[in-house]
Amino acid sequence: MGTEWVAVGLSRDLPAGVAMPALWQGRELAVWRSASGKLSAWNDRCPHRGMRLSHGFVRGETLACIYHGWVYGTSGSCIHIPAHPDLVPPATIKAETFLCVEAGGVIWVGAAGATDTPPEFAGYVPLRSVATQADAAALAQASGLEQAAQGLLGSTAAGGVCLILSTSQTKTTIHALAAKEADRVALSRWLDGVVRRAEERVLA
Amino acid sequence: MILYDYVLSASCYKVRLMAALVGERLDLQAVDFHPGREHKSASFRDLNPAGTLPVLVDGDLLLTESTAMLVYLATKAGGWMGSGAVNAAQVQGWLAFSARLGASLGMARLHDMLHYPVDIAAVRRAGVDCLRELESHLTEARFAGRIFLVGDGPTIADIACFPNVALAPDGGVALDDYPSIRLWMRAIRSLERFIEMPGIHRLHELKPAPEAV
Ligand code: FES
Repeated sequence: MGTEWVAVGLSRDLPAGVAMPALWQGRELAVWRSASGKLSAWNDRCPHRGMRLSHGFVRGETLACIYHGWVYGTSGSCIHIPAHPDLVPPATIKAETFLCVEAGGVIWVGAAGATDTPPEFAGYVPLRSVATQADAAALAQASGLEQAAQGLLGSTAAGGVCLILSTSQTKTTIHALAAKEADRVALSRWLDGVVRRAEERVLA
Repeated sequence: MILYDYVLSASCYKVRLMAALVGERLDLQAVDFHPGREHKSASFRDLNPAGTLPVLVDGDLLLTESTAMLVYLATKAGGWMGSGAVNAAQVQGWLAFSARLGASLGMARLHDMLHYPVDIAAVRRAGVDCLRELESHLTEARFAGRIFLVGDGPTIADIACFPNVALAPDGGVALDDYPSIRLWMRAIRSLERFIEMPGIHRLHELKPAPEAV
């Protein structure tokens, strides 16, 4: 059923060599893709002094913190400390890692030990991710879409759309998927309108 | 070519960046914008009565608007202006948009860094509106396989808009929620001859590893 999984971003927004921030159940994550394409999701805090690892940079199969340059391998373990180049970092210096997979162009993070697989949306392709102050109820009302397991589903003048909603204390992130034959530009503009209308309700 | 310059100013950086990208050498004259307020002094206003930075002087030409300086540098070098009626018009649209970025994200940064007296909530809100417009536009560009604001390559539109967007976190406006803006900034930061300013870095991936320096 895929209920143990939360969408944190779209594959198209995370090419090889890029790190980006994401939210998962109220936790700040750094999600990044190595040069060879390996995906990782970590707590967005450097074990050294807590700098956001999503501000770091990918070199090959490693993520380096932007602050003092500590280098972490895809397992999360620190493998190099520039200020002590001859030191082999102790195994205890390790970024907290999360279960992270891609399915249908969506990046999912699951609870430790998640046994099922993330949901698939056959016939849909990733459109874009948008964050809003509006909640799921306001988005449902403004969009006119039907409630579905992971969010909202339905058709618009621009074509079919599926909005996967990930909520945190501060915002709702919408990961929008478009039906394969939909007009992506028109759907993207429709989504901007939905967000504006839903937020007007929140602020009213 | 002389640029009267303040290193932390987003507008001055636009001009330094453009000059670097087209290979134009600038003679930088540092102006004590903060804390000296030298740009408001009588002698500086003899040069630029508006009392603003940057100022570009090339022989008899004196320019006091950073977008005008971008036009001058780009036209002299060739390219960067958008070709054809549609692209040229769109470049002008983004130059006007860059003024909105300055009045919103730019003012939020001046408030947080130099205590400018502005309605901080209002300028941040206006800044978020600008970022959303930019994100939507860049998302559409990516649907068409493009990454820059106008056409297939970088133009002065990108250079005019980039600094105040990249520096938005200095004014308390986060960039976390804008994936297309993130990839657009990466494309700009990896341009050949790109230069940095405090708070804006070249793509680290393109630099030698620190231990190799
Ligand atoms: S905080 Fe990351 S290396 Fe120091």
